[in-house]
Amino acid sequence: MSVKREEVLRIAKLARLRLDEDELERMTGDLNSILEHVDALGSLEGDGEIAGTAFEEGPSTRDEEASDGERGLDPSVVAPAWRDGFYLVPPPPGVHAEGDGS
Amino acid sequence: MTRSVTTRIRESEAGPEGLNAFITVVEESDVPTDLPDGPLQGVPVAVKDNIATLGLPTTCGSRLLEHYRSPFEATAVRKLREAGAVIVGKTNLDEFAMGSSTENSAFGPARNPHDRTRVTGGSSGGSAAAVAAGYVPMALGSETGGSVRQPAAFCGVAGLKPTYGRVSRYGLVAFASSMDQIGTFGRTVADAARLLEVIAGHDPLDATSIDRPAPDLTGALDRGVDGLVVGVPSEYLPDSLDPGIRERVDRALARLEREGAELREVSLPHSRFAIPTYYVIAPAEASSNLSRFDGVRYGVRTEGDDIGDMVEATRTHGFGTEVQRRIMLGTYALSAGYYEQYYGRAQRARGRIVQDFRDVFGTGVDALFTPTTPTTAFPLGEWLDDPVQMYLSDVFTVTANLAGIPGMSVPIGTLEGLPVGGQILAPWWREETAVAIGSVLESTLTEEVR
Repeated sequence: MSVKREEVLRIAKLARLRLDEDELERMTGDLNSILEHVDALGSLEGDGEIAGTAFEEGPSTRDEEASDGERGLDPSVVAPAWRDGFYLVPPPPGVHAEGDGS
Repeated sequence: MTRSVTTRIRESEAGPEGLNAFITVVEESDVPTDLPDGPLQGVPVAVKDNIATLGLPTTCGSRLLEHYRSPFEATAVRKLREAGAVIVGKTNLDEFAMGSSTENSAFGPARNPHDRTRVTGGSSGGSAAAVAAGYVPMALGSETGGSVRQPAAFCGVAGLKPTYGRVSRYGLVAFASSMDQIGTFGRTVADAARLLEVIAGHDPLDATSIDRPAPDLTGALDRGVDGLVVGVPSEYLPDSLDPGIRERVDRALARLEREGAELREVSLPHSRFAIPTYYVIAPAEASSNLSRFDGVRYGVRTEGDDIGDMVEATRTHGFGTEVQRRIMLGTYALSAGYYEQYYGRAQRARGRIVQDFRDVFGTGVDALFTPTTPTTAFPLGEWLDDPVQMYLSDVFTVTANLAGIPGMSVPIGTLEGLPVGGQILAPWWREETAVAIGSVLESTLTEEVR
């Protein structure tokens, strides 16, 4: 099936991506050529089994204990900014940093 | 000795013959001297740059993560260090491991050491090139659809993709989590096998790693192929296959037969669905995994007028063309109205592909032998604007990732001066069978691969 430009714009919005006019043109063409190939799945006959894990063992789970994982070093060493056990990131647009009276 | 290795890599890469195999090379002064007494003591190893390392950036070949430094280290890398290996640098790759040529790197394409006008394959092209060029005897890569075996074939080295669950994915930046697996490159089959032995094993930090005894791969090197049944799937030898590649596959099969293997023609009838299935499931998982890159938690932020605008601007400027294409494809396949048509069908096709392998291995076939790729390394830029053609270069490798089975590529000859790879696919957890067959091919095809 063919995907229209409007549909590509809708998908871009869902994917949090922005396409200019040229990119929209190219992306529409690319998606259509890929989906044309993918449409071969339509010739798969019957319902069939849906793949789960390929082998009999299930996932291996950890003990039910709270943990911060196994870090090689204190994250504060590589964090751009760090306070009280949290990464500090620049405030998103429209949000003011703590202590920023503006 | 490893100190001089990093200097040599820097000098070679800076020269006109540079391969752009590395994104980061360790400073000579940072190479440790007091190394653990392990099986890889003092051995220089390169690591694909989507595997987290302490003290070095982990960029994933993306501008978005250009300055990212991980606060933790991948389990595979930790095991390397504990074995005495020296991490000499982080290798170039297609951005977030999405690609088959290592041209989709924000740091420029890697070049094939056999012909610098040609691609290395991908996505682990930097690791393959680093081994092929003799910078390092072994390197880590990662696979989602053939990203170790395909560049191994293009660069003329051994590449080993283990069973899904054999190696911890902890610290491997996620692309398509149901298929991602760390694999190994070696100058020889023995090197690739030794490296896998070191990094294999259960890890409580990865719920998909399986608690199984580590395989005895070095023991398999001298096992030979006497008595093994090697299946030859007709779907992997289509009439359209390059006759030069076909001829080298036939010669490799004749060597295996001469060494005592029984050849048996088999069929994997759902292989024709492999590429469509892979290019629905992998982008679908990628679109979810890469949603975390929003300019807040990770990545180089591009400012915008409000939060939504900032997230869009960050992702639009941070991701390259191929990554955006796959995110779009995955988002489409998972979106309301299309989920069953694409993702549901692909999941069922994946089930059939798994069953094909179960059926064949259930008839006493010990392993399968196929070409690794339908062509040799293609010229840089040739398929950049043709995503479908690029995707088809994975046509013989993606089935192993969809099914979770181990696979290996070994050099089986050259064609017009370019390496040709032969692929061995083994049943789940039988990496040693692949290594045994690869070792025999390596030792009996010595003249052909030079």
